[in-house]
Amino acid sequence: MKVTFPHLGTMHIFCKTIAETSGIPFVVPPETSRKTLTLGVQHSNECLCLPFKIILGNFIEALQRGADTIVMVGSGPPCRLGLYDLVQKVILEDMGLHYRWLTIPPRLTWRAIWKNYEETKELKKELTWKNILLFPYGLRMGWKKMMACESLEKLAMKVRPREVKRGETQKRLKKALAWVDEARSLRTLAEALQRGTLSLQETEQDVSRAPFKVAIVGELYTVMDPHINRGVEQKLGELGAEVTRSSWFSTHILRSLRKNKAGQASERMRFFEASKAYLGYDVGAECNLSVGEAILRSREGFDGVVHLMPFACMPETTASGVLTRVSKDRDIPILTLVLDEQEIEGRVQTLLEAFVEMLQWKRKAASVFPKP
Amino acid sequence: MGNYLGIDVGSITTKMVVIDGKNEILADTYIRNNGRPLEAIQQGLEIISSRLSRGSYIGGVATTGSARHLAAYLVGADVVKNEITAHSIAVIDQFPEARTIFEIGGQDSKVILLRAGVVVDFAMNTVCAAGTGSFLDQQAARLGISIEEFGTLSLMAKHPVRVAGRCTVFAETDMIHKQQVGHSIEDIVGGLCNSLVKNYLNNVCRGKELLPPVVFQGGVAANQGIRKAFEEELETGLIIPEHFRLMGAVGAAKLVKRAGPIRTQFKGFELSQKPCSTRGFECSECGNQCEVIELLIDQRVEACWGDLCEKYRKSSGPGVGKP
Repeated sequence: MKVTFPHLGTMHIFCKTIAETSGIPFVVPPETSRKTLTLGVQHSNECLCLPFKIILGNFIEALQRGADTIVMVGSGPPCRLGLYDLVQKVILEDMGLHYRWLTIPPRLTWRAIWKNYEETKELKKELTWKNILLFPYGLRMGWKKMMACESLEKLAMKVRPREVKRGETQKRLKKALAWVDEARSLRTLAEALQRGTLSLQETEQDVSRAPFKVAIVGELYTVMDPHINRGVEQKLGELGAEVTRSSWFSTHILRSLRKNKAGQASERMRFFEASKAYLGYDVGAECNLSVGEAILRSREGFDGVVHLMPFACMPETTASGVLTRVSKDRDIPILTLVLDEQEIEGRVQTLLEAFVEMLQWKRKAASVFPKP
Repeated sequence: MGNYLGIDVGSITTKMVVIDGKNEILADTYIRNNGRPLEAIQQGLEIISSRLSRGSYIGGVATTGSARHLAAYLVGADVVKNEITAHSIAVIDQFPEARTIFEIGGQDSKVILLRAGVVVDFAMNTVCAAGTGSFLDQQAARLGISIEEFGTLSLMAKHPVRVAGRCTVFAETDMIHKQQVGHSIEDIVGGLCNSLVKNYLNNVCRGKELLPPVVFQGGVAANQGIRKAFEEELETGLIIPEHFRLMGAVGAAKLVKRAGPIRTQFKGFELSQKPCSTRGFECSECGNQCEVIELLIDQRVEACWGDLCEKYRKSSGPGVGKP
C-alpha cells in the first residue's frame, strides 16, 4: 500500500507526517507544475474549475509514481468541489489507473464513518498493528507540524512588506518550512520552528514603513494554494501590503470537527453573521464568509480586500456581485481576481500593483484632506 | 532640460511618445506588433529618432503595458509602471474633472473610477478577452472591411440587430446566423457595436458607479460605432482625448518626468540597429520547471528572467535582473 494526497499550500506536510510517523508507505505528488496542470486539463471537462484540474493532475502524477491509495477530503454540496471526489474517482477509473480511494468525511458523523467502512475494511488488512498503534502519535505530530507551518507563514506575511531586499522573506520561509518538514520528533520540530522563526525575524527590515493592511478572502483552495493563485499572497506582500487571511488548513479541520469554542471557528461564525446584512441565506461553500469577512475587515480598519475565485465558481461569482456593493457601501477597495488555467501571472501582477498604488493615493488624499 | 520617452507595449500595438519639460508632445508613433514586440520596439525607436530634432536629449524612459518588463530590459528603462496607473496619470493631468475612464485596447478592457483626481476603484478583464479590439479586428477581417471603415459602417445601421454579447465565440455564431438570413452588413456591424458595449458595461463595469465626465481612450475609441453605442447607453457625451491611442505612453512619459532620474538607463536610439532576440528554455533542475527567457542584444545575453531561483540571472553578469 502507498498512500497519496493532493497539494494544498503546506497541507502535504501534514499528511506526509501522519503517514511517515505511523510507518505507512506514501508518495508525495511532485510539486504542482505546468505538467500537472496539463494533465489535469487534458482529463477533465472543460467547464470545471481550476482547483479541480490541479488536484486531478496531482493524483495522476502520484499514481504514475506508484501510489495506490488516494486520501481526499470531501465536503458535499452545494459547491461542485464538494462532489469532486466522486467525479475524480470516475475520471481516474476511466484512465485505467488502479487505486483505492479514501474520502475523509467533512464532518465526522456515524453515517460518514459507515460510508467509509467498506474502504477501511480493505485497508485494515494491509495495515500492521504497529501502523495502527502509531497512528494517534502520527496525527499529533502532523497537527503540530501544520501549526508550525502556519505560524511561520503568518510571520512571513508580517515580515514581507517590511523586507529591505525583495524576495528575502520568501527564501527564508521556504527554508524554514523545509526544516519543519524534515523534523522527525516533537523535540526536533520545536527546534525547527524556533530556528525558522528566528531566521524570519532576522530578515533585514525597514521598520519605518507603514504597510497597508489587506485581507485575502474567497474560495478556499484558491486562497490557500500559491500554485492556484499565482502567489498572490507573496506578490501583495512584496508590493508593501501586510496580508491577512482566515482560510487555513487548520481552520477547515477545526470546522469539520465542529470545535466551535476555539477562536478560529468562532471567527468564521462572526463572518457568517456579518454576511446576513446582504445575504438572506447560506449560498454555500465560502460565499457568505467572503462577504462577511470583507464587511468585518472594513470595520477593523483594513485598507483593502482581495477576493480570489476560480473562473465559473458559482458561490464566489455570487459573492463578487455582493462585494461590489459592500465596497461602495463601506468605502473599502475590493479587487476580485478570477483565476483560470491561462498564464495570467503578468495580469495578476498588473492588477495587484495598480491596487496597491490606489491604496497609496487613497492614503495620501486622506492625509491632505483629513476626515472630520 | 531633457525630454522624456514613454513606451507602452500592448498586446496588439506599441505606442511611443516623447514629451518635453512642458508636457508638449515632440514625437509619437503607433505601430502594430504583429506578435513580435521586440521588433516593434526597435522599429518604434527608429521612427521616434527620425522625428525628433537633432541633438534632443532623452532624460528618462518609462515603460508600461503588458510587455513593460520586456521593453524595460530591452531599452533600459528608469521607471516601469502598470498600465492602469499610467492611463490614470495621463487623464488626471489633462482632464482633472474626469470621474470615469473607459480604456479598451487590443486584449484589455479597463474601467477606472476617479474622484477628485484620485483613483478610487478600477476593474480589468482577467481570464476572458471578449469585447476587446482584437475581436473587432477579427470580425472586420471576416467581413472584408478595414477596421477604420468598421465604425462608419455601423453608423449607417438603420435597425441594428441583436447580437449575443456574452462571449465572442457566441457572438460570431449569432452574426453568421443574422448574415445568412439576410440582414444587411450595416445592421450586423451596428448590432455588434451595441452588444460589445453592453457586454463591457455588464462585465467589466458591473456594479460600478459610472459618473460623467467620462473619458474614452485606447485603440477602440477610434471606432465611431462604439462611441455612439456608449453615448446612447449611458445617455451622456464622451470625452475622447486628442491622443486617445497614446494615453498610456503619455502617462508613462509623465511618470518618468516626475521621477526625474539623475542619470537615465536608456541604451540609446542606436538599439534599433542592433540585432535583438530572445530565446527560451525549460530548466529541469527542480520541480518548478521554470521557463527561462534570455534577451540577446548583439549576440550577448543582456538580461535573463523567469527563473524562480535566480540562478541564471546571477550567472548572466552584473546589472542584469529585474529593472
